[in-house]
Amino acid sequence: MRPLTETEQKTVFEKLANYCTDLKSLIAPLDDGDRYVFRLNHSRVYYVRLSVANLATSVSRDALLSLGTCLGKMTKTGKFRLHITALPILSEHARHKIWVKDNGAQPFLYGSNVVKAHVGRWSEDCPEHSGVVVYSMADIPLGFGVTARSTTEARRLDPTGIVCFRQSDCGEYLRDEDTLFAG
Amino acid sequence: MAPTKTIKNKHAANKSGIKGSKDAERSRNDGVLKSKGKPKGKAHTLVTASKGRPNIQELIARKKKKKTYSEKELAIPELNMITPVGVTKPKGKKKGKVFVDDKESMATILAIVQAEKEGQIESKMIKARQMEEIREARRAEAEKKEAERKARLEETKDSLRKKRKRSKQSGGSKGDDDDDSRDVKEFSSAGTKAVKSKKKKSVSFAAPE
Repeated sequence: MRPLTETEQKTVFEKLANYCTDLKSLIAPLDDGDRYVFRLNHSRVYYVRLSVANLATSVSRDALLSLGTCLGKMTKTGKFRLHITALPILSEHARHKIWVKDNGAQPFLYGSNVVKAHVGRWSEDCPEHSGVVVYSMADIPLGFGVTARSTTEARRLDPTGIVCFRQSDCGEYLRDEDTLFAG
Repeated sequence: MAPTKTIKNKHAANKSGIKGSKDAERSRNDGVLKSKGKPKGKAHTLVTASKGRPNIQELIARKKKKKTYSEKELAIPELNMITPVGVTKPKGKKKGKVFVDDKESMATILAIVQAEKEGQIESKMIKARQMEEIREARRAEAEKKEAERKARLEETKDSLRKKRKRSKQSGGSKGDDDDDSRDVKEFSSAGTKAVKSKKKKSVSFAAPE
């Protein structure tokens, strides 16, 4: 386990900035004097309290499976992929949101994109190809994706037209159980 | 492997003919250079020493004066080296990764990234708005054209109707209402085929000259 390098940190922040508005609150000091830091272990990036990260130094790298919140994975080409495990953090500071109706929640959780007919409501002034967090109508975060059309364009779209490309959904907890934390 | 050299006359190579002489020695080592511990200029310095006998300090100073060329001064092509250009690491720099763990550096990276992203999103929004405006303008233009076309069509229809009425008024003996009622009766009784039957079939022949 090690801290991130400057370039790694930058790529992680860039990816997070697609979905979140306020990134400063992510690294802001907590009330008890502690703060959150980013750690890398087996190419997985973890968002963890500094005190916990310091404690985890006593565990050998091979024996350490996970700590804190797993944000995603650093690829071998230096890119960063967000995992579904990062959803609680993204949903807390989401920039744009889409609420899907009950009839659209299941198709989304099974891995399909969001079509216009399934959208209950969406945030205004959302440009094309920007990150969105997908919620159910009861405000439960289901996953996240990338907008296929801007809000104004999507209004003119036919009901079967894709509004949001799925990036990750809660169904991955079951579907990708084996590879989510290792491999 | 040392390069082979063909010698025509075995004895001619050893010019001096003396076995232990310098020439003989040189010819034996032909093609193979052995580095010697002592510098080559030794013989030369010995000669000068015998002439004027300069002191050792002067000699050392003269030796130091020899200009050493840096790699840049030699202007050797960069690719003509054993180590590729990208692989060479700058000297005096710390080996390994530089981690970002302190609050300040993390905050600076974050600020830079966030400013960049905000700018990108803002420009995207502006572009989208402009595109939307253009689309609106185009749609309005198309609607206007459509309306114009319809108006023109109506105009021509009206003009045609008026023309027909005028012709009927001038040629017909009865009023308009009677004509209309008659037309309706005809259409209802015979349909559209009745119009065709009215026409007389005519055959024309070419007139002889």
